[in-house]
Amino acid sequence: MTDTKTPVPIEIGRANEHDVKIRWQDGHESVYPARALRLACPCAGCAPPPPAGQAAISAVKPAETGPVVRAGGGGVAETVHPVRIDLVGRYAISIQWSDGHNTGIYTFERLRTMCPCCSAGGVRQGARVETD
Amino acid sequence: MAVTQEEVLNALRTVQDPDLKRDLVSLGFIKQLRIEGGRVAFAIELTTPACPVRDLMKDQARVAVAAIPDVLQVDITMTSQVRSSMAAQPSGGLVPTVKNIIPIASGKGGVGKSTVSANLALALSRTGARVGLMDADVYGPTIPTLLGITAAPEVDAQNRITPVESHGLKVISMGFFMKPEEAVVWRGPMLHKTVQQFLGGVLWGELDYLLVDLPPGTGDVQLSLCQSIPVTGAVIVSTPQDVALNVAQKAIAMFKKLNAPILGVIENMSHYVCPHCGTTDEIFGTGGAQRTAERMDLPFLGAIPLATPVRVASDDGIPIVISQPDSPAAQAFVQAAERLAAQVSIRAMQGELQPHVNVSF
Repeated sequence: MTDTKTPVPIEIGRANEHDVKIRWQDGHESVYPARALRLACPCAGCAPPPPAGQAAISAVKPAETGPVVRAGGGGVAETVHPVRIDLVGRYAISIQWSDGHNTGIYTFERLRTMCPCCSAGGVRQGARVETD
Repeated sequence: MAVTQEEVLNALRTVQDPDLKRDLVSLGFIKQLRIEGGRVAFAIELTTPACPVRDLMKDQARVAVAAIPDVLQVDITMTSQVRSSMAAQPSGGLVPTVKNIIPIASGKGGVGKSTVSANLALALSRTGARVGLMDADVYGPTIPTLLGITAAPEVDAQNRITPVESHGLKVISMGFFMKPEEAVVWRGPMLHKTVQQFLGGVLWGELDYLLVDLPPGTGDVQLSLCQSIPVTGAVIVSTPQDVALNVAQKAIAMFKKLNAPILGVIENMSHYVCPHCGTTDEIFGTGGAQRTAERMDLPFLGAIPLATPVRVASDDGIPIVISQPDSPAAQAFVQAAERLAAQVSIRAMQGELQPHVNVSF
C-alpha cells in the first residue's frame, strides 16, 4: 500500500485553441500539447503491448473506437485535438478526440506524472501533491 | 435585562460537534432562534438523523444556554439535513437527486456483504433518513431474499425503472429481472451498462443515502461504479481471519487507486455466543479487521457477532434490525450505521471546504 495521495486538479481548461491546461491543487499549472496527449492515450488499444512474458489481454477492435496510436505516432493527424473533456468519477478524465477516439481514461496521477514542465523524475522537487 | 441573540450564540459557540470538531454556530446548525424574555427556543439542524451524539449535543447546548443570566427556559428542537458529498457532480449527472452513494465492498466473497448492506440501510432508514439499496451483485443477487421482496419493479415506456419499496427502503436488484434458476453470464460491457442503468435509469427520487451492495472482487462492476459517479466513499466488510483481511486490503487498494475515500471497516462474524451455555467462541479469530483498520488509519465502524438469529431473520426476509431490534446483533448494526453516517457527514463537510474540479473544455 502506498501512502502517496492522488494529485487533484482544481481546473481543467484550455491553454490555447487546442492544448489542455490543468491547474492543480498545489498551485502548479501543467500545459499538455494536444497531439502529445493523444499519442499518450492509455487505452487498451493504444497503450504499448505488455512486456514479453505477460499475457496480452486486450482485444479492442480499432474500428469501433476510432484509430489507435501506432508506434512512432504514425496515423495520428498533426491537427488532432480534444473536442470534449469529461470527469471520470473522482480520479480521472476522459477525452473525446477530433479523430473519433474516446476510450482512453487519463488518471490525475498519470497526468501529473507526465506534466511536460516537470523533470523526468515526475513531480518536480518541492511541489506538494495531496488531496486534503 | 433582556437576553440577547448575541449572548445565546456566544454560549452555543462553546458546544462542539465531536465528529466535525467545530462549534454549532460556525457549522450553521443553529436555526429558528427565538428569544421571548427569558424563554429561548431554537433548532439544531444536524447533518444526519443517524447522528450518534445528538443527545449529547442537545444536552450540552441546553446547559450552555441555561447558564446565561436571566434565561428561564430553553426549548431545543432537533432536526437534520443530510449534506451531499456529490457537489462535484455536474448538474446533468446520472443521479442528481441522490446526496451520498456508498458502495459496500469486501474483496472476498461470503463475508456477509449483503446482510451488512441490508441491515445498515434499514438502520439508517429507521432514523428517518431517505435510503436506497442497490444490489449490484449481478451474479448472485441476494437482496430480494434478505428483504423478502417478491414484487417486480415497474418499467415505464421510457425504460425507466421504479424501485421496489420494502421496509421503507427503495430497492433495485438484478434478481428482480431474472428467474432464480437463471444465471448472468456477461462480459464487462454488459456489466457496465447495467451499473449505469441502475444509477441513471432508476427513478430513485430524493435520497440521503444510496448503499450499493457490490459483488466480490475488484472488477468491472466496482470500476464502472467508481467511473460513472463520484462515490462518497466505500465501506469495507471483512471477517476477522487473515485470508479475508488480505483480500479486503486489495479492495481498499482499489478504492484508493480510484481516489474514492474509505469511510470505514466493519468486522462481520466477529465472534459467536453459544445460545446454550453463553460461552463466546472466536471462530475466525476476533479484532483482525479492527487492527487492520487501525494499521491503515481507517475508521473502524463496528463488529457484528456471528449469531443464528441474523441468519434466520435474513432467510425469512425480515432483517434482524427490524425483526429483533433489541438483540445484540441488531444493536451492533445500528451502531455501525450511526458511525457510518458520522463519517459521511465529515466527508461532506470536507467536500464543501475543498475546491471542486472545474472542467471547461
